[in-house]
Amino acid sequence: MKFILLTFLVALLVIVINPFLPYWAIMILIAILAALVGIKGAGAFFAGGFGMGLAWLGQSIYVSSISGSSLPEKMGELMGLGSDMALFAFTGILGFLLGAFSALSGSLFRKLFKRKPDNIYGRS
Amino acid sequence: MKYVGFLVVLALTIALAVAVSRPFGAIPPLAPLLDPNHGFWQNAISEDELAEDELELKNLSSEVKVVYDENLIPHVFASNAADLYRAQGYITAKHRLWQMEFQTMAAGGRISEIVGPLALDLDRMTRRKGLAYGAEKGMKFIQENDPDSYLLLEAYADGVNQYIDQMSDARLPVEYKILNYRPEHWSAYKSILLLKYMTDMLVGDRDLEYSNLRKILGDVMLDKLYPEYPSGVEPIIEPGHKWNFNPLSVTQPDSIPYPNDQLVIDPLPQPEEGTGSNNWAVSGSKTKSGNPILANDPHLSLNLPSLWFSMQLTTPEHSVKGATLPGALGVISGFNENIAWGVTNATRDTRDWYKITFQDKTRKAYRFGEKWEQTTFRVEEIKVKGEDVFLDTVVYTHYGPVVYDKTFNSKRQDINFALKWNVHEGSNEQKTFLLLNSAKNYEDYNIALDNYTAPAQNFVFASNSGDIAMRIQGKFPLKWKGQGKFFMDGADPRMEWQGYIPNEQNASTLNPSRGFVSSANQHPTDSTYPYYVFDNSFEFYRNRRLNSQLSEMSEITIEDMQGLQFDDYYLHAAEALPIMLELLSSEAESGAEAKKYLSLLKEWDFYADPNQKAPTLFYIWWRKTYGQIWKELSENVAPIVLPSYYQTVLFMKNEPSDPVFDLKNTSEMETAASHVKQGFEEMLADMKKWEADEGDFSWANYKKTTIQHLVPQFKSFSVENVYTGGGSGILNATSSRHGASWRMVVELGPEIKAFGIYPGGQSGNPGSKYYSNFIQKWANGEYLNFDLRTSDQAEGVLFQTILN
Repeated sequence: MKFILLTFLVALLVIVINPFLPYWAIMILIAILAALVGIKGAGAFFAGGFGMGLAWLGQSIYVSSISGSSLPEKMGELMGLGSDMALFAFTGILGFLLGAFSALSGSLFRKLFKRKPDNIYGRS
Repeated sequence: MKYVGFLVVLALTIALAVAVSRPFGAIPPLAPLLDPNHGFWQNAISEDELAEDELELKNLSSEVKVVYDENLIPHVFASNAADLYRAQGYITAKHRLWQMEFQTMAAGGRISEIVGPLALDLDRMTRRKGLAYGAEKGMKFIQENDPDSYLLLEAYADGVNQYIDQMSDARLPVEYKILNYRPEHWSAYKSILLLKYMTDMLVGDRDLEYSNLRKILGDVMLDKLYPEYPSGVEPIIEPGHKWNFNPLSVTQPDSIPYPNDQLVIDPLPQPEEGTGSNNWAVSGSKTKSGNPILANDPHLSLNLPSLWFSMQLTTPEHSVKGATLPGALGVISGFNENIAWGVTNATRDTRDWYKITFQDKTRKAYRFGEKWEQTTFRVEEIKVKGEDVFLDTVVYTHYGPVVYDKTFNSKRQDINFALKWNVHEGSNEQKTFLLLNSAKNYEDYNIALDNYTAPAQNFVFASNSGDIAMRIQGKFPLKWKGQGKFFMDGADPRMEWQGYIPNEQNASTLNPSRGFVSSANQHPTDSTYPYYVFDNSFEFYRNRRLNSQLSEMSEITIEDMQGLQFDDYYLHAAEALPIMLELLSSEAESGAEAKKYLSLLKEWDFYADPNQKAPTLFYIWWRKTYGQIWKELSENVAPIVLPSYYQTVLFMKNEPSDPVFDLKNTSEMETAASHVKQGFEEMLADMKKWEADEGDFSWANYKKTTIQHLVPQFKSFSVENVYTGGGSGILNATSSRHGASWRMVVELGPEIKAFGIYPGGQSGNPGSKYYSNFIQKWANGEYLNFDLRTSDQAEGVLFQTILN
């Protein structure tokens, strides 16, 4: 549940806030979000990663489809990637990595303040 | 343990964030580039999708309305001149910021700041020929003599800067994102620098080459191969024109000791071959409507973003429309409610070189007559990306900068030449365009032109009241015959320019009886003009085709004039090919390929249309033949220029057995026929290869017209293999990399009808649908409607914005 929640919140964060703030500010916000949601390591990593990665991929697909521009192809050629598909993939992967590591950092940060014996309740 | 884990991940995260914010070699920072909200993806959005009803522009006296027509041409309606140019700066920056800045970086010798040490030599060259120095002089001149224009220059700069300050990362032009730098502020100085850069693009000299030729050939042979006035020249000002003035006298020294060294230094970069232009105006007596029609098409390198940006600029006093130069105020080639004007390059040798004899190694003084004159040192500070600042000391004499010296490009260390060039003298070209924009009649046009120094232009003019005119305007040095054709001795005061031709004695004509005025970079006047006029690059073909067509035509319409701008008649081929075919004996005609090519050539109507095959054959055959004829000359180690095509054809026609055709180092005696045959054989070899590799050799496919992005490495931002006809020396001067950079036809009269087109688009953004959308129309010879608009006109509006 928390995984889906964090993925959704991260994606929302990117879509709503990223237009106004640079990527590194988004990274900090994702870390805070992951800490607040309180999700463990791998879950945070993938939720943050998918949230930002899918948001960036989606945004790049959205921008290029509403504009109908050939710029992605031109950029792909210019960067020696051959096609625009690779650029979409790169954007998604970069978003994934930035989101994933940010969320993991946030999750581990929260863990620092967690009390040891709280697993007696049998939940994380 | 958990602390370690956290710190490791945090470190990794920060490392990742930093890594994607930094460039690796040529790879720009990845995150800012790929971020869909700020990076290049945002540049995929076209201007119409970003339209805003209102934008903030401070320092206006009242609001300015900007109406974009369906071609994204902005029509700016302002209540006074200061508001108008502030808005022009703002709007131009909005669409062309990267280009205008990049061009001034080039003009200022600052490309190394962007691309690194790769461009250092280019920047040193730009600095050493004194473009920035000239712009500083120009700025001072305008500040002192024309404070009103200076205020307008500052208003324009303020408009640009307000745009830069408002611009979000998302809107940053994609070139900045790829090259990883940001725009800096604009200034009045940069606008002036840009106009100096135009001078640099359009003005050349061949003093070095002619000095070498004189040494190699001697005076007699030089005059034979390179006559200053070849027979059959058709000048710009109609032959027989009466010069109603008393010319200033020029004293020629009795003996002229030229520096006699053969020089192997590289010449200064020259305007590229194919740089030229056409303009003309026909009087009402020759047109169907009875109104004058004016046409202009400047030929320059074909680049994207286009050199030109179309605009209408309107105040209650005037309404002008046409092609603007991003970075400069007003319209450069255009029309208003009363007049139309256009420009072609008035190529003339206004750049001279003086040999400097320094007193000693310190270079603090140089000989001038009996005295030693003091030099000044100008230290050029060139920032280089990724390296230390490069300091270049340039020595200035009273002539101008010593461009080549022991530290720069000279293979012979004892040779120092100073460049004298009117671009180094204060001048105010901007004023000319400001005045032309609001000119109402012939008198206003002349007053505007009086301010103009360089690059010298042939200004064509037509007005509502029926006048047509042509004036060759620039600040032309008074020269004795032959002065400045070769390098001169700077120690000899007699070599100095003796002043300038007064503006009112520059060649001009008003309403000539033939009913038209025209120019196409040819000789300005016939030989009766009382001043010495020389240039190596006068053109011989476009002007004669143009004049013969204009003389024959009557009942002229706008469509006729458009057709003439797109005229593909290859006059050089029409004159040379029959001679070549005759000189080629029948023995070469054996072989199926030879027969096929010859029959194509014999059937040819001499039009270089895109689908024709014969122009390709002729072009190769001619180039090979020409190369063969002047083989010995071109094998010289010292830089030289070859005789013109025109003169070469004259020799082939009139004296095919003349010794000029003989190659001295062969045992036989060559004639024109030997070279034509040799050229034909070489053409067969080339064609064999072409047909094997490429197949189709139709003209468009052979010449491969390319409209190249200003950064040639950005190949995908260029448009290649544009299917269109024409070529160098043809009225439709579209060759592989050069051609009509702007075509305009205007019919004056109670209601002005105007058409224009250029090979590009209004947007400077390679991701926009308005980036290259004019190219196909341009290639087909089609035009856009350029009629003046009123501010409330509703049809054909893309969107409109209020600046407030």
